[in-house]
Amino acid sequence: MIELQNVTKRYPGNREALTHLNLTIEQGEMAFLTGPSGAGKSTLLKLIAAIERPTRGQVFINRKNITRIPKRKVPALRRHMGVVFQDHHLLHDRNVFDNVSLPLQIAGFAQVDINRRVRAALDKVALLDKEQMMPITLSGGEQQRVGIARAVVHKPAILLADEPTGNLDPELSAEIMRLFNDFNQVGVTVLIASHDLDLIERMSKRIIRLRAGECIDSQSPLDAQNFEIHN
Amino acid sequence: MVKARHQQPLARPSFKTRFRAYVRDHVRVLLFSLGKLYRTPFATTFTLLMIAVALALPACLYVLLNNLQTVTHKWDDVGQISLFLQTDTSEPALKQLKATITKHEQVENVNYISADLALSEFKNRSEFSDLLEGLPINPLPPTLVVTPINSAKQSDTLNKLKKEFQSLANVEQVQLDMQWLQRLQAITDIIRRAITAIGIMLGLSVLLVVGNSIRLDIENRRAEIEVTKLIGATDRFIRRPFLYGGMWFGLLGGILALLLVFIVLLVIRQPAQDLVGLYNSDFKLMLPSFIQSISLIGSSIFLGLFGSWLAVGHRIAKIQPS
Repeated sequence: MIELQNVTKRYPGNREALTHLNLTIEQGEMAFLTGPSGAGKSTLLKLIAAIERPTRGQVFINRKNITRIPKRKVPALRRHMGVVFQDHHLLHDRNVFDNVSLPLQIAGFAQVDINRRVRAALDKVALLDKEQMMPITLSGGEQQRVGIARAVVHKPAILLADEPTGNLDPELSAEIMRLFNDFNQVGVTVLIASHDLDLIERMSKRIIRLRAGECIDSQSPLDAQNFEIHN
Repeated sequence: MVKARHQQPLARPSFKTRFRAYVRDHVRVLLFSLGKLYRTPFATTFTLLMIAVALALPACLYVLLNNLQTVTHKWDDVGQISLFLQTDTSEPALKQLKATITKHEQVENVNYISADLALSEFKNRSEFSDLLEGLPINPLPPTLVVTPINSAKQSDTLNKLKKEFQSLANVEQVQLDMQWLQRLQAITDIIRRAITAIGIMLGLSVLLVVGNSIRLDIENRRAEIEVTKLIGATDRFIRRPFLYGGMWFGLLGGILALLLVFIVLLVIRQPAQDLVGLYNSDFKLMLPSFIQSISLIGSSIFLGLFGSWLAVGHRIAKIQPS
């Protein structure tokens, strides 16, 4: 589903964010991306969402090479993805319903389908009763759940999340992770960048560790059990 | 663990559905961008007034110029032609000449002023009557004053008549007293060009005012634009509310400008009519016609749209999620 071949990303000023990175995430897989700040987690997500282009190497999404994807094709690519941010990025001039419906509005769905899908997504994150509220009146955890509802409302094949639990307490964080797990259970490929090691190790999913732009370790849940041998 | 049933990806909406959604989005954005102006009343009023004043000024001048031209058209009526004859013209030749001219199809009537009559009239009116008294002979020529028919009172036709009369026997000189009218015409031409230049400059300022408002709006919504881009919005989708915003600025500013024009014209209407009345004219100050009003609002909408288009231009393309 997501494949990076020998990818190097160098930012202006010669800072190398990723170095000769090879990575494959299968369809329907759920994986965590971890590592210290500046390890290249965000850069990796940006390459997948075509926010940044690699300096060298190739990026494939669903077997399509997006390394040099023209600008006009980027919106269509992103409609196959859902993105969750650390600080929600909700639009504060419209209510929860309108925030969540945005991806469907953009893709040009009929109003009846929009209504149905938005309610289904809000139901999934247990915010159905708050659809008319303004985001600002919600708690941090609720806002994050609105962000997640918006990311999944159009049933994307890939769900990307950048530090989705960064601002939440452990209990809420676990709840958010359970939600991601649920989406993975119905076949969505999920990739989450997080430095909350305790939390992600409990999820028993694949963990990709980055350090200084290099993949130093990628252990599947099975490997985790044989951690000693693997090392 | 038993895996839950895999979700079916959402089918892409049909073309018909997408087209209807497209129209729906236009309507939604149309209202949304109007609501946006309503929610920032101070900034909106400020911008609209700037647009209105910038457009009302050249529009007022233009309407006044049009009025000036109708007045001078009426003064065209005085276009008489004076034929100064040779001093030695005989009585029969004179009669013959007068008859010929009277018969001309573009001539209303001919008035003969003899040299003696001209001299005595001149003496009555002139400060130099004493000086004239001392002259041994009458220096003034006999004159035929020709009044052309109304339809001939246009500078082209009058000039043609002048040439015709020039070629007649015994006619020394033909004078068409239109010079002041031509000067006035030259002046109105200059004024017309000046108004056009002012109009273009102020139109440009409308472009900048709208462009600047939209640019600020874009900057304020930078985060929102980044998010919508990440959700897969095309540049066109993001551009739309800003373009509609510019359209609203143009439409509302244009209506306000038209209102200002009417107020200004109604205020100066009476004094202007009094002034022209002093010249014995039944002048009525014309207000802008329906077509002119519509064109004012139309050009205002165009300027608003164009201004926002310039502001939006590459800006939206440049804002990328980070």
